[in-house]
This record gives sequence, structure tokens and C-alpha cells, in this order.
Amino acid sequence: MTVLETLLSGQLLFAALVTGSLYALIALGLNLVYGTMRMLNVAHGDLVMLGAYGAFAAFTLLGISPLLAAPAIAAVGGLLGYGLYRGIFRKILAGGSSTTAVRLESNSLLLFFGLSIILQNATALAFTPNNRAYNYLDTVYRVGDVAMTGNRLATLLIAGTLCIGMALFLARSVLGLAMRAVIERREAAHIVGVNVDRVQWLSFVLGFGSAALAGVLVSMLGQFSPFSGFPFTIAGFIVIILGGLGNVMAGLLAAVLLGLIETYGVALTSANMRSVLLYGAFVAALLLFPNGLFARRAAAR
Amino acid sequence: MKFPKTSRRKVVGGITAAMLALASGTVTAQADKPLRIGFSMARTGMLANATPSQLNTYELWREQTNARGGMNVGGTKRKVEFVIFDDQSKPDQAVRIYEKLITDDKVDLLLAPWGTPFHLAIAPVLEKFKFPVVGNTAASVALRTVKPGYIWFPTSAIPDRIGVELTAMLKSQNVKSVAVLSNVLPFTKEIKNFLEPELKKAGITVKVTAEYPPDISDMTSTLTQVKQANVDAVLALAYPGDSVLYAKQAKELGLNNPLHFVAIGPTDAFFAKAVGATSAEGVVSIAHWSPRAEWKGSQAFYDAYVKKFGEDPDYLNSALAWMSLEILETTVAKTGLDKEKMRAMISSTTFDTINGKVKFDGVQNSITPTAFVQTQKGKLQIVWPASLASSKFEAKKGW
Amino acid sequence: MKDLCPNHGWTLLWITCLTCLGALPFLANDYLVGVGLTLLMWLALTQSWCVLSKMAGYVSLGHVVFFGLGAYLVVVTWQQIPLVLAVLGAGVLSALVAALVGLPVLRVRGPYFVILTFGLAELVKYTLTWIESASGMASRILFGAPDLRVIYFSMFALALAAVALLTWVGNSRFGHGLRSLRENEEAAETLGVPVVRYKLMAFVLGAAIPGMVGAIMALRSTYFVVGQVFDPMISVTVIAMAILGGGDNARGPLLGVIFLTLLSELLWANAPLLYMVILGAILIVFVLLVPNGLIGLLEGRRAAASASAGKPP
Repeated sequence: MTVLETLLSGQLLFAALVTGSLYALIALGLNLVYGTMRMLNVAHGDLVMLGAYGAFAAFTLLGISPLLAAPAIAAVGGLLGYGLYRGIFRKILAGGSSTTAVRLESNSLLLFFGLSIILQNATALAFTPNNRAYNYLDTVYRVGDVAMTGNRLATLLIAGTLCIGMALFLARSVLGLAMRAVIERREAAHIVGVNVDRVQWLSFVLGFGSAALAGVLVSMLGQFSPFSGFPFTIAGFIVIILGGLGNVMAGLLAAVLLGLIETYGVALTSANMRSVLLYGAFVAALLLFPNGLFARRAAAR
Repeated sequence: MKFPKTSRRKVVGGITAAMLALASGTVTAQADKPLRIGFSMARTGMLANATPSQLNTYELWREQTNARGGMNVGGTKRKVEFVIFDDQSKPDQAVRIYEKLITDDKVDLLLAPWGTPFHLAIAPVLEKFKFPVVGNTAASVALRTVKPGYIWFPTSAIPDRIGVELTAMLKSQNVKSVAVLSNVLPFTKEIKNFLEPELKKAGITVKVTAEYPPDISDMTSTLTQVKQANVDAVLALAYPGDSVLYAKQAKELGLNNPLHFVAIGPTDAFFAKAVGATSAEGVVSIAHWSPRAEWKGSQAFYDAYVKKFGEDPDYLNSALAWMSLEILETTVAKTGLDKEKMRAMISSTTFDTINGKVKFDGVQNSITPTAFVQTQKGKLQIVWPASLASSKFEAKKGW
Repeated sequence: MKDLCPNHGWTLLWITCLTCLGALPFLANDYLVGVGLTLLMWLALTQSWCVLSKMAGYVSLGHVVFFGLGAYLVVVTWQQIPLVLAVLGAGVLSALVAALVGLPVLRVRGPYFVILTFGLAELVKYTLTWIESASGMASRILFGAPDLRVIYFSMFALALAAVALLTWVGNSRFGHGLRSLRENEEAAETLGVPVVRYKLMAFVLGAAIPGMVGAIMALRSTYFVVGQVFDPMISVTVIAMAILGGGDNARGPLLGVIFLTLLSELLWANAPLLYMVILGAILIVFVLLVPNGLIGLLEGRRAAASASAGKPP
């Protein structure tokens, strides 16, 4: 394919959007959790993996379609987030002002890493480490030149709608505004009367819930195993760092950008270059914009 | 608080005795001492999803052997006990584990781990301690660089032979043009390295050639190119991890070429479950075994595996694992646990296995031919070479 | 030596460790020597990581990049240049790379720095993977590697060097400068601390040793694949050991390394999946209940003991 053909290819655009929308959904959750907790949830991808297993179990054991099971699985994810918040994080957030930023950083890395290991290996114990996959919505629809498998189309539509919905919610609604306020400056938000506690647990619920939902979508697309969550965590982090931590809207944009780079970059070079391009773009962007592509504040030295 | 001397001695004595008893396990006669067989297997990490086909086979064998009264060690039957460690999908971890098994756990016998990198990694350890192991799931031309003596490889799926035989098979089907996609992992990359020159020699045009990383999540770009090229055959040198992705996306993009070859994956029961029976139908893959009348024990193995695990064995990995166990069993029955005698016997004897006869020439199996299978009506049939074929090749009718 | 042993307990510990580890190859079987080697490797890696990440507060999640570069250099120059040169070269290469990327990389702070360093390590990994596959290589086998004991003592030397480095840094003016910039970089700069230069120095100093560690460990497993040797888990484990150990100097990492290495050896021998679950649980418990690490535990106990020393038994 010539370069022009590549750039104008509808098929590639579709693939890029599917990938991008999935990244966006994952980044959304990650940003919400980071925004409130200021902690790097390296277990986020494993939550996606759990969602995938949930859908798999629902489909193969109970015969329930993943799309039908999705709300329930997302709810379970949200509940998990709520439980973790109430159980552990509320205390840490309240009492952690004396800890230096450094310790919190590396401590939170370890904390979530410990969670990640537990989730991965507990799942492996429960489901065996075998790859899992199932066939659902695999009819291929053709619109002009573009072929779209049903499940990929569904992923794009669902993830896309959720992200746009969330963006609108954060931009327009009062609660959304409150969330953004807490993300930006918690103490100030508290002073102006925002119910910080409520915003925080809501962020957790939404954050974990969206991860579980992303997992349901992922499970339709390909194989997964208890250890396949990590790449999603990485992708999520790259996206939210690029967009600027806590900046949910920018994160969504960065996700789509990343999907585009990945798909078109590979098409123009080779599949082998995928990670080189991704990480190369990431490192370059961060070196030029130390606080993310969309940061408003000046960079540190 | 001071205990009187005698009772203190009694207490210490009692504790020591208890510890000794615990350490030595049950105190029984020599012949009843279980036979400890050690190995490492990736239970966590990147390759954990590929190893069950082998581990299951080992377990099945142990169960059957113990049901018969145990493994025949130079005339005496001893019950088999496994000592298994997780190598976390890391070859250097496997090295440490085998060192531990030999020097610390002091096992009686060793079995092979899963995968080429692991076989190669432990080869020096086995040589150092002069401990023979019959390998199984390893295939690389690098195997020949391993000094023969303490590890052998029964598989015939060696990349350079695959290159030659695959080209021959394509030629016999009048294939004029192909697309070659390859995972960069060692086994598939090696196949590609040998395949492309062979194709050129045979006059088959390679219209598309691409490589991709093992963690690929979207093949649209590459497959769009393949679709445009309109080739007679698509050769996807894939691993189980990406074989499913390939099948699903080939379906989406409508790659309706008559011949689709997927290197690793379709021989595992998991593949058809993941992509659906219609998609799996007609895919060609690498395997040199199938249950047939003239191979003694092959049908029995197949039936026992299905009965115990509820799915088909992997026609490549499970079969190889079983073959290596058969070879070990036959050897140890004759030579006992004498390592040098074992080595001598394994290097020189022709063995009867569920895959027919196996004889080692150096480290390689000189009898079993490189073969390919195709899924026909849900069952794997050997379609190449003609000498081994149980069915003829049929063109794939879409996904 | 002041920071190393303000009291006899610590001197004793250091000397015990030294003698045990030094004597191990002569007394134990291969497996135990392997465990000792692993311990020394982690000690060298963790101590060198602390130079930048603990002292200056720039938590790096990409420490494995130097390890991998060192290993790659050895593998690529295998049997073409003397091994000693290759190992030393690995250290030099890593330091050079650190010096090259240090300035722009260290402009990035906090969690951005964490993920950036991770991204950097992955970038190098995938670039090398691409180079390897483009040159037709799938994997490399190294025959004729030196004996386990040679590897062991080389690692011993590196671990000692790493401990010495961290101790020296901890006690020097340079180290104090790093600590000050950890607490508040802008304030430190106002006070005249050459912040940029110090950060870069710490980064480069901490890079040389892991390079050589990687070079030596490449000899341990005769089979080399790029993905293995740039394993992100190595970076994570280093962080875990440093945090579990706690503290601000060479003592914490020592405890952390010993604790986690022995725990791993004890656990993975039994149930692999369960071992990981237990490990994860321990990490969580530690972070929540023992935020100052093992050092914090010990020091807390000593403080309590001395507080009650005056009371009658």
C-alpha cells in the first residue's frame, strides 16, 4: 500500500478507533483513581483482566451474553472499588499528610503492585493459567471498503459512548464539576463545600467499574489469561501521563492519539516497530512536555 | 526455670527424633521408597498458558504408572512422585531449578520443561552433572550445537526441515505466491529464516513478508496488506498467543485464500473453542502425530487424555511429552538409575512410541519425518508427507 | 563508617554477612551458591538504585535498562573481546547512556518520572528486539561461560562496590545535597545546591553498577533473549526491596534484600501460585502497617527499649 492509501484507509481508521476507544476507557478509570488518590494504580490492568474473566464465566458457564452481563460486571467492579476505598484508602488519604511525597509514591507503587500480583495469581489458581477466549458477535459487517467484526464495532460504540458521556458529565454536571475540583485541589474543594468523601468514593466506583467494563469488551476481542492485564496497565499509564495526570479530557484525547499512532505507525513501518513507535513517541513527548502534552503549568527544571 | 537433666535430654531427644522422622518421610523398606522425578514448568508468567498440555500429559502418565504399581526401575517397581517447581516462564529460573533438583533435592530422574529456550538453558546444567534427560517440546537448529550426551530431542519439527517440507507441500498444491507473517519469537523466526530461501528456490513468490512482536494486539495493518496481495497461501508463523488473534482478524478482513498455515496453536483443543469450529476448519499446522492403528498406544493415549481432561491432547506438545516418557520408561526398566547406562541406551536404541519408531542420531530424532496436519471436520489429520498422510489436503473455504 | 554502624549490632551484621557470603562457595552445594549469587545481585542492584531514587527522591521504574544494556553488550561481543573488558565496558556503556539521557530525563518529576523511566527501559528493550530480529537473530546461545564460583565472586565484588558507593554518597556533602533536593527541590536550589548537576551525578553513578551486574548475570544462563533481560519485574523487585528495607542509607536495602530473597526462596519452593499471592499480601501489609520499612521497625523497637531502659525489670 502506498503511504496515501494507508493514511486514507477506512479499515485502518476503524482499527485505530477501536484500539483508541479501549485505551480511552481504561485511561478514564485510571485518571479518576489517580486524580483522587494521587496514587499510581498499577493493578488497573488486572481489574480489566478480571472483568474479562467475569464475562467469560458468564458466557461459558451461564450462557449470558457479555453485553448483557456487562452492567453487572461493571457494578461488581465498582463495588470492589468502593470496598477498597472504605476499607483502606480513606484512612491513608486522611492521615497521610506527614508522609513525604516520595514515600507515598513508591509505597503506593508497591501497594498496588502487591494487589496486582494477588489478583493475577488468585485468578490463575481459580481459572488455571490457560489462555481463554470465546466467540461472540463474530459476524462481519461491511460498509464500503471497511470490514467490521460485530464485537469490534460494539467495543467502539460502547467504549466511545461511555467516554463521551463521562466527558460531558465532567464538563456539564455539578457533580462532575465537583469531581474535577477535587482532582485539581482537594483541600480547596473541601473549603468551597464539596463533599470530598462522596466525590472520592464515586471516583473509585467509576474508576474500577470502567476497568471491569473494559475487560468485558476486551474478552470479546481476543485471548486473555490471568497475566494479560499488564499491557493494559502500561497503555493506560502512557495515555494518562501524556494527557497530564488527572486531566480526564486530555486523557481521552491522548488515548485516541495513541490508537492512531499505533495503527498507522505500524501500517507505515512494520508490526515489529509497534512498541518502538509507541514508547518512542511517549518518551519524546514527555521529554518535551514534562507535565504531559496538555499541561498548563510551566515545566520543572 | 531449670528442668532436671534426664527429662531435658528426653525432650531434646524426642524433638530430634521427630524432626528426623519428618525429614526422612515415612520410614519404609527400600523398594517402597517412592521414585522422585523432578522438573520445572511455567505456571506463572507469559508462557503459563502454553504449558498445561505438557503438564497434563506428565500427570496422566504418573497416574497410569502408579496404577500399574509404579515405574519399572531395573526390575523393581517404584511409585512415582513428582517434584515440580515453577520457572515463571524464565529460562534462567529453570537453570536454578534444575541445579536445585540435582544438588539439593537429589531427585532420581528429571523430566524436561516446556519450550525450546528452557531445554537449551538447562543443557549445560545437565552436562555439568552428567544427568541425562529426554527432551520433548523443543525445536531449534540451535539444538544441534548442544553437545550430544545428556539431552535428546524427539521432535521432527525443526525449523530447517519445516522450511523444506512446507515448501514441498506448497509446491505439490501448485501454490505460486505466498504471504509470510512471523512472530519474532525464536522458533517461528527460525522457521521464517529457513522458509523464505526455500520458497525462493522453488520459484514461489513471497508477495508479503512481515514480522510482529509476541504481544501484538491488532494485526489489521498487516492483514490488510495480505488481503490486497491476493496470494495463494498465507503462512502465519504464529504462537498460540497470536494464533487466535490472527484467525479472528483474518475472518474480519475476509482472507479467503485456499491455504492458511498457522505454525503453532491449531493442534491445541483450545484453538477451535476460541475461534469457532468453522474458522478452525481447514487450517494447516505442524504436528507429526495422530492416533492411528499402526502406532501402538496412540489411540489409548488419546482416549485416556480425553477422559481425564475433557479435551483433546495437543497433537504436538502432548504427544512429544508422552513419547519422551515412553523412552524414559523403556530405558530405566532396563538400566535402572545408572546415569551412564541410561545415556548409552538412549543414544543407541530404537524406541517404540505412540508416534512409531524413534531413534536418536546425535541429539535429533532421525526417524520421524517432519509433518503437517489439517483440521478436517473438527479432527486433525496428517496431510503431509504422503508416506504418513491419513487424509488429503482440502482447500479452506473461508473463515 | 559512621552511618554503617553507629552501634555494635550493625557492625556485627555487616561482618556476618560478609563472612557468610564470602565463605559460601567453599562450603555449600551449587544450589545454595546460586541463592547467594541471587542475593548479591539484588544487593548490588538495590543499593545502586538508591543512589538516585532514595537519596534524591526520583523514583526510577527503569533500573533494568542498565542491567539489560550490560547483558546485551556481553552477548554481542561474546568471544570477541576478553570478558573482563566486556564487563567493564558494560559499566561504562550504562554510565554513558545515563549521562546522555540524564539531562532531559531528570527535568521530569514525580509520577511522570516514574513512568518515563519505565517507558525508557521498554523503548530500549523493543529497539534492541527489533535490531535483533532485523539482523536475523532469534536468540543467542553462549557456550563456554565461566564457572559459577567466578561469577559469584565477581558479583560479590560488585555488591561490595554498590554498598560502598551508597554509604559514601550517604555521608558526603553530595549526599546531603541530594537529600535536600528530595525534600524541596526549589528551596534547595535557592540555597545554592547545584541541583541539576547533583541529580545527573546521582543518575550516572547509579547506572554503572547495574550495567556490570547485567553483564555478569548474562553468563549465568547460556540462553539469551532480549525480552528476558529487560524484564520490568527486575525494576519492580528492586523498588520492593528498597521500600521493604526502608531507611535512608545502605542498611535498609541490605535488610530488604535479605528479607525478600530468603522469603522468595522459602516460598517458591512450595506452591508457585500461592507463593505469589502470599508475596503480594506481604507487600500490601508492609506498606500499610510498616511504612518505614524494616529499618523503621528496628529503630522503633530500639527507641522503645531505650525509653524503658530506666525502668526496673
